[in-house]
Amino acid sequence: MIGVHDLAKQYHVGDHVVHALKGVSMAIAAAEFVTIVGPSGSGKSTFMHILGCLDRPTTGRYLLNGRDVSTLPPDELARVRNETIGFVFQGFNLLARTSALENVELPLLYTRQGVVKASERRERAMRALEAVGLTDRADHHPNQLSGGQQQRVAIARALVTQPSLLLADEPTGNLDSTTSHEVMEIFARLSSDRGLTVVVITHERDIAAYGTRTVDFKDGLIVSDKANDARVPAQVG
Amino acid sequence: MKNFLRHPVVDTAIKALSRNRLQTVLTMLGIAVGVATVLAMMAVGAGAQRSIEQQVRAAGLNQITIRAGNWRPKVTDSDEAVAHQGDARESLRHPLDRLNDDVLPITFHPEDDPMEKHDHPTARQRLGDLEAGLGSAATMTFDDAEALRQLPGVQYVAGGIHENVRVHLDAKRWFTRMHGTDVMMPSIKRAWAFSSGRFFTAREQERGAQVVVLGQVVADKLFGPGATPVGRDVALWNQQFEVIGVVTSATWVVQPAAGDDQFDAVYMPYTTTQRLLNLSKLNDITVTAESSGDISRLSREITKLLRVRHGIGDNEADDFTLITQATKALTTGGLPPSVARAVASNVAELEKVTLEQLAMTMERASRTMTWLLAAVAAVSLLVGGIGIMNITLLSVTERTREIGLRMAVGARGKDVMRQFLFEAVVISAAGGLAGIVVGMIASIGIARLLQWATVVSPWSVALAFGIATAVGVFFGWYPARRASKLDPIVALRRD
Ligand SMILES: Nc1ncnc2c1ncn2[C@@H]1O[C@H](COP(=O)(O)OP(=O)(O)OP(=O)(O)O)[C@@H](O)[C@H]1O
Ligand SMILES: [Mg+2]
Repeated sequence: MIGVHDLAKQYHVGDHVVHALKGVSMAIAAAEFVTIVGPSGSGKSTFMHILGCLDRPTTGRYLLNGRDVSTLPPDELARVRNETIGFVFQGFNLLARTSALENVELPLLYTRQGVVKASERRERAMRALEAVGLTDRADHHPNQLSGGQQQRVAIARALVTQPSLLLADEPTGNLDSTTSHEVMEIFARLSSDRGLTVVVITHERDIAAYGTRTVDFKDGLIVSDKANDARVPAQVG
Repeated sequence: MKNFLRHPVVDTAIKALSRNRLQTVLTMLGIAVGVATVLAMMAVGAGAQRSIEQQVRAAGLNQITIRAGNWRPKVTDSDEAVAHQGDARESLRHPLDRLNDDVLPITFHPEDDPMEKHDHPTARQRLGDLEAGLGSAATMTFDDAEALRQLPGVQYVAGGIHENVRVHLDAKRWFTRMHGTDVMMPSIKRAWAFSSGRFFTAREQERGAQVVVLGQVVADKLFGPGATPVGRDVALWNQQFEVIGVVTSATWVVQPAAGDDQFDAVYMPYTTTQRLLNLSKLNDITVTAESSGDISRLSREITKLLRVRHGIGDNEADDFTLITQATKALTTGGLPPSVARAVASNVAELEKVTLEQLAMTMERASRTMTWLLAAVAAVSLLVGGIGIMNITLLSVTERTREIGLRMAVGARGKDVMRQFLFEAVVISAAGGLAGIVVGMIASIGIARLLQWATVVSPWSVALAFGIATAVGVFFGWYPARRASKLDPIVALRRD
């Protein structure tokens, strides 16, 4: 599914160069559930942005479904993001004054075929909301939803184009632990039941334990990469 | 419409614009003022154009009259000689003289009862003599008129026969001019308006129907002011004629007056005149040029053509006379007719000068007004445009995270650009529509207040709307482009 080879990313701030990634290589198979942990500033988000085609590496190669996407032009990257990748952010990033349903419909406005027909948009968005158990909140605006519900709407939005890769950067960062576990359950289910490849960044060990595999970042490098033998049951605290 | 409003781009635009409602409305207001001014400007300009045009036509500046006979070398300004010259008589005499004697009722005229006279074997002879004495015989025909119609640059052609007649309504009678003319006449006399009824038709002309159009003065004298003569019968030459229309002046420059040649007159098909008076000649042919500036060239062409048609040798004089507004203007300006003619025929492009003088006076006034309005329009459109740029930039800044999100879920640069351009155009187009309404009202107001004709054409409305939209696109371009160039990661991080 994913293969990265010697991925490096440098940022130029003033005169000096920040090496956010210093040569990361790894492979992620389809339907794997990978969690990424590491101290702040270790390059996790930078790595995920490259995986999500939001950014391009300074050097190195990134193969997504066997295709080298590290050199694609911006419009092509947009298409890959729309069709193949679903994004979930720490801050939910829902549009205010817009219903949950319409928020979920958003990626369907930018498909390769243009804007998806309204009736079909609605139908597909409802199905995505169903997957996160929020059909009864379809008409609610974000400010009428709890944090956990908002994040579930965001997950539904990531799912609506039926991508094969789901990326989440600290999806539980703004949630209490109960809701965090609820959200992680959803990711786990999507990976095991639907065969989605899921990559989640987190700071918390117990959240990381939801993954079938946990990768540890430090100073722009992978310092450990090991499978979690058995899924740790949800532990509060 | 409902579907259009539901379109996501439109829906997003409406939501975004209602977020900064006051700013949006104020910006629209700026555009509205600009567009209203553009519209008023064009209305004033077009109004001036039309009134210039009308006056050019009223003055007959694009008109050439070709009269049978050549009175150039022999005519003296004795009363007897000019009495039968119709229009020419008018033009050759001082306007004050004209006023003085034409309003007096004329008690006798040799052609008073032409039916009787023309039946007399010597009658036509006498007419012929008179014309022969003036230089030529009655040589102008309908075929000449048809030939002139073929000349390039010719707009309309109308043959005419002119007589003095007495029009009878029961016991009342009025002595006036009779013009046997062509259906084309109302097109030539652009400054005509029908206060009731209509002009005669091509069919009536073909049949030589006994129908008559009264000048306003004649209608007033016979039927009284405000009466409706249409459908009534009047008598000329002891023949019954049905009144089919009353013609009056369409412009304030020319007012119908007793003794004038246009509205103290009656009109009928020249075929009717020819039939009743047993004539085949035409007294004159009136030609209008498509362009007023073309009069000199056209005059030369007409002279050449008619000389060939009439078989006039190189050294012989013309058997016809060309009269243009230039010759008329010079004589009414006080020059002796012979000098006027000499000047008019020797100074090339003289008509242009006369035309330009008239047009220039009118244009100078309208140009001042147009420039003033154009300046106001330009400034308010500029201010409105900057307003649009400002509000769109504000919107881009406020919605940076939204832009980042849309890009993250697959929006391309051009999708983002389209969204913001559309929002800018919505503001300017809405302002434009409001401006069109205000501009139309303003145009009517200007017309009422300043007594200045204004014309709001559909074309100018479309143009005003187009300008508004263009302002939106132009000033929305930079902010929209900036939004489309945002880096999604940077945009998503913004708070
Ligand atoms: N746009 C940028 N310009 C300059 N430096 C950057 C930029 N983005 C990230 N960096 C630097 O790259 C390094 C890695 O950042 P990154 O956001 O990937 O860390 P992270 O592991 O996600 O940290 P956190 O857990 O706090 O989110 C940091 O030192 C950061 O300062
Ligand atoms: Mg991070």
